[in-house]
Amino acid sequence: MVATAPFRFELPDALLAREPPEKRGLERDQVRLLAVDRQAGALKHTRFDGIGDLLRPGDCLVFNASRTLPASLQAFIANGPYAGRTLQLRLARGNEDGTWSALPLTLEDEPWLGELGGARLQFRSAGVMPQGNPGARLSAEVVGRDPLVERLWRLRFSLHGAAWMECLSRLGNPVRYWYSSAPWDLDFYQTVYAREPGSMEMPSAGRAFSWKLLLELRRRGIDTAFLVLHAGLSSYLDEKFDAGHPASVEPYRLEAEAAARINAAKARGGRIVAVGTTVVRALETAGADGRVSAGKGRTCLRITPSHRLNAVDGLLTGFHEPQASHLDLLSAFLPPESLKSVYDAALEAGYLWHEFGDANLIL
Amino acid sequence: MKRVEGKHIVVTGASKGLGRTLAMEFAREGAAALVLTARNADRLYQVKEEIRILAPGTRVLAVPADLRHSKAVERFAATALAELQGRVDVLVNNASVLGPSPMPYLLDYPLEEFRRVLDTNLIAPFLLTRKLLPGMLEHGGSLINVTSDAGVNGYPGWGAYGISKFGLEGLSQTWAAELEGSGIRVNWVDPGDMNTDMHRAADPGGDPSRWADPADVAEVFLWLASDASRGTTGRRFQAQEDWRAQASVDQAALATEEG
Repeated sequence: MVATAPFRFELPDALLAREPPEKRGLERDQVRLLAVDRQAGALKHTRFDGIGDLLRPGDCLVFNASRTLPASLQAFIANGPYAGRTLQLRLARGNEDGTWSALPLTLEDEPWLGELGGARLQFRSAGVMPQGNPGARLSAEVVGRDPLVERLWRLRFSLHGAAWMECLSRLGNPVRYWYSSAPWDLDFYQTVYAREPGSMEMPSAGRAFSWKLLLELRRRGIDTAFLVLHAGLSSYLDEKFDAGHPASVEPYRLEAEAAARINAAKARGGRIVAVGTTVVRALETAGADGRVSAGKGRTCLRITPSHRLNAVDGLLTGFHEPQASHLDLLSAFLPPESLKSVYDAALEAGYLWHEFGDANLIL
Repeated sequence: MKRVEGKHIVVTGASKGLGRTLAMEFAREGAAALVLTARNADRLYQVKEEIRILAPGTRVLAVPADLRHSKAVERFAATALAELQGRVDVLVNNASVLGPSPMPYLLDYPLEEFRRVLDTNLIAPFLLTRKLLPGMLEHGGSLINVTSDAGVNGYPGWGAYGISKFGLEGLSQTWAAELEGSGIRVNWVDPGDMNTDMHRAADPGGDPSRWADPADVAEVFLWLASDASRGTTGRRFQAQEDWRAQASVDQAALATEEG
């Protein structure tokens, strides 16, 4: 299935957020916010920490509390035709059989197209040879190609559970893209409320919330609920390939307490505001007839303009690339022509794109 | 019902002294999962083994780490959150180092040592708490910081240690104020003189027989970790004084509030 964006636009490089707001002289909650009132068709330009004025007591913000993994590893190939080579592996998905699917890249972020079946991999910190490096104790065997996304390979790591997490923390780096102006530390790729490690990339829509803002919203009677959806990679670093693989399969969990909060908010007439497209996918998967059910599963739901929203009334998100499948998802909230006018306004006013950028609230 | 039945509890500095005792007590009182850290891996694994025998129903994860390094704090936090599936009910910031022994005057204190003590005793709890608090945001929780009399009074020779505890008192007060009404309670405890390696190093001329056994001061920690302390936040407790008197004031206030 090939994703077709509802409209196209040119994104100037100047509008890519290259560094976290904290490195641009702002607090994390001082980024800009473009608010769209769906009914009135009105746009409001404001600052993120004023979001409370756009919400009402009784509304419920639903967050994705997944924590970002340092999902990019350097792997040394120990055998086979590429023995001695070092490549970059980006974890893409944990599988139910305990294997991990990962995207191989060159150290220069180019797709790696070589055969990896049967390879033994050793992991190490950048620039350090495996010998004598205690972190090199982590290794993996490549057991085959991923059945869903042929660019990915399935790995079986030598360690599991807590030992694996410890090693990953020692060896991995956050997945970063070319527009980052520096190799920002993993802490910059976390939301303040992230609690369960598992995302390959930060669920970034909620990045702008500070503790201060979250606690203030609660004091104002705006409810909060949390689910966990571990986000996969947003790009395979190959535009054509990305277009053919618009939605990843992602595990999510909605606990009974959170489901009850969401349903209670709905029942009292509050609006359910999804913080991020991952939350939309999880809630629309877990929802039917205006109610959500607790549970866990995997979602491969792809939301398109024809999708009728069941559980979610509003969306807080970032600004998405012209070709991103996220734009498709947004058009479930706004007809393509309105969405285009929102994006025109954002481009015109110089809003910043990507995980360190500005925010867009559609209510 | 046991007092911390089903809870997920994180304890730093758990290989000996007060931290080890608290880990054992929490296990005995029904904790579902304990995540423990300390610098000394062998001793920490031994504590894990002792708990396995004492309370086989408690899941224990031991993660050796020197929390003075921020990367080690991240590694420990990520591992703990993964193990606990993102739910933390209680965090006890207990780990601390004394600094050089015998203890030099602050006027003579080596800068490197001063930094090491502050990194371990003050910066580490600051970082670790921020990383673990998301695990309490939905269900509420209890943050317990271990402080000292040297954190409210300046004594000759207690230099960096005392200053780090002054800082921890400030962190605790500030967090308690910021988290007011959030369901996350913040309290801090001065355990008083205890017969531990640390206290013997700090006071080599003292008489250990006059100091409390760590087990004797565990009660206030158990109470703070349990739901019984639900109405109490922003309080400093002295474990060897009449802490129950203060606790009962808060409980009475809570009962009035709840009508």
